[in-house]
Amino acid sequence: MKKKMMTVLVFVKINTRRFFRDRLALFFTVIFPLIFLFIFGGLFGKQPTVSFKVGLINQSDSAFSQQFVSDMQKSKTFKVDNEVTDLATAQTKMNRGEIDATIILPTGFGDSKNGQYPSGQAQVIYTQNNEQAGSTLVQVLNAQFQAMNKQYVHADTPFTVTSKQLNEQGLTRFDYTFAGLLGFSIIGLGIFGPVNVFPELKKQGILRRLHTTPLRVWQYFMSTAFSQAIVGLLTMGVLFAVAITVFHLHVVGNWLELALFLAFGIITILGIGLAIGGWAKNERQAAPLANIVVFPMLFLSGTFFPRYVMPEWLQKLSAFLPLTPIIDGIRMIATEGKHLTQIGPQIGLVAIWFVIIYAIAFRVFRWE
Amino acid sequence: MAKSTEVILKVRDLKKKYGEKWAVKGISFDVYRGEVFGILGPNGAGKTTTLEMIETLREIDGGTAILDGVNVAEKPWDIRYLIGVQPQSPSFQDKTKLTELLQLFAAAYGAKAQTHKLLEEVNLLDKANSYVESLSGGQKQRFSIAAALVHNPKVFFLDEPTTGLDPQARRNLWELVQQVRDKGVTVIITTHYMDEAEVLCDRVAVMDKGKIVALDTPKNLIKNLLDKGFKKEQKVEQANLEDVFIDLTGKALRD
Repeated sequence: MKKKMMTVLVFVKINTRRFFRDRLALFFTVIFPLIFLFIFGGLFGKQPTVSFKVGLINQSDSAFSQQFVSDMQKSKTFKVDNEVTDLATAQTKMNRGEIDATIILPTGFGDSKNGQYPSGQAQVIYTQNNEQAGSTLVQVLNAQFQAMNKQYVHADTPFTVTSKQLNEQGLTRFDYTFAGLLGFSIIGLGIFGPVNVFPELKKQGILRRLHTTPLRVWQYFMSTAFSQAIVGLLTMGVLFAVAITVFHLHVVGNWLELALFLAFGIITILGIGLAIGGWAKNERQAAPLANIVVFPMLFLSGTFFPRYVMPEWLQKLSAFLPLTPIIDGIRMIATEGKHLTQIGPQIGLVAIWFVIIYAIAFRVFRWE
Repeated sequence: MAKSTEVILKVRDLKKKYGEKWAVKGISFDVYRGEVFGILGPNGAGKTTTLEMIETLREIDGGTAILDGVNVAEKPWDIRYLIGVQPQSPSFQDKTKLTELLQLFAAAYGAKAQTHKLLEEVNLLDKANSYVESLSGGQKQRFSIAAALVHNPKVFFLDEPTTGLDPQARRNLWELVQQVRDKGVTVIITTHYMDEAEVLCDRVAVMDKGKIVALDTPKNLIKNLLDKGFKKEQKVEQANLEDVFIDLTGKALRD
């Protein structure tokens, strides 16, 4: 038994080393998910506050309105589109969805009517498809105007409302996206890797040659699994490093528990690749089967968009896909700070899949 | 090298069926320890299938094969430790150094390889740190021999080892095979080149359509034919075109 494990270790050592000489494989396992990370990070990265993209048309020449415009431009809540100077451009931009609404400061806005304080009525214009943004903008402006009004006219306000932010940080869209991205990377490594490599090894008779030696299938699988787990953990280390430094991902969980869970996930999904690649005689058999298996997971397990946006029946169904508990588990450990003992259902489901997948993989494996 | 008469491989009524067709129709032969045994025959005669059954790569559909006292069908895993196999067109995983590949093969047998000694024996020591894809056809064949011998097997199988090689590489490979034989390893080789069989083999079995049609030393087979009154139409030349080719281009390896 000790000898048999030594065999596995030599295979792990040499084949892991070999992986890092393969530029194409490196690209697909490391660079590819990184590109996705930057794309999705840019899309769903943490935005500091809600902001409206608005057009601002100032038709007044009062000092007050000038001040108002410059305040708006500095504001974080509003993003003023400087290209908008008249109603026509505003309309086109709103139709295209480039801006949410347009604020018009009419002639005489901000003039002192009775020599006491400035006054005026701003107009918010929005299109039908932006009704929500438009009415929210009206409320925001109203609140700002009220604050300004208080400076000029004092009135009692019997009822007011205040808000308070809880210190606890909820999950952001990016937290979901990042866990999904790791799932995507696991699929690339575990399924597309072996599915591409095995038929090629068979075509060249490389596996057949190994078959003339006393090497057992379990030794071959185990060495592949270990070496993929090592490669996978290193890849994900890079992804975590980038997500933390560039996209301010906040990891609260235990790194060792996270690594253990990730390795378990990688090896389980790799079983699918071993089963398909090990069964297929050539690429033409492997590719379609791999796609059939991968696509449901890719879209329903929460890789590219979180599962909570799906209809409930689909959420219930997709919960049982092998990748779903892996992605959920990663998120629960990394960003929710849960321990392995607290994610029993996820680990259990992955374990069940592990048994099923490897039972099939061993049964269908062919050396040639 | 004195040939023993001790039987190391005993094949009796060996059969293989593909679908409805019998590829090997019940063949029997003995191979003696330390000899080079050739299996000759045209394409499709069943040579490779016969080898693959003894190598445990294909299931035996009938008959028995006993190698060094071990029944192939009953203990295939024991057989694998006893044999070294050189397949028809050897290929190895890419981006792996020759020394690493030898380590992998040795590890498969649970052993450690003396990588440099093995490479020296096949004249590839200067390529120790090269990847296998940078080798020429002849070098690959030589390396493949080293890979097949990492675990000191008792019987070495070569399946059409010189197909596609230039005359220099062929002769070099013959020398290597003789060296392996001289170390006491029994060699079983298939080929459809008669000159190769004549130079290398102590005894040959001629197969056709799944059967052995003759089995003897090359000399005896030729003698028997002449005894039947066979005469070549042309007078045999003292040299052939290959001799001319070697004379013109030299024996040195081109790789």
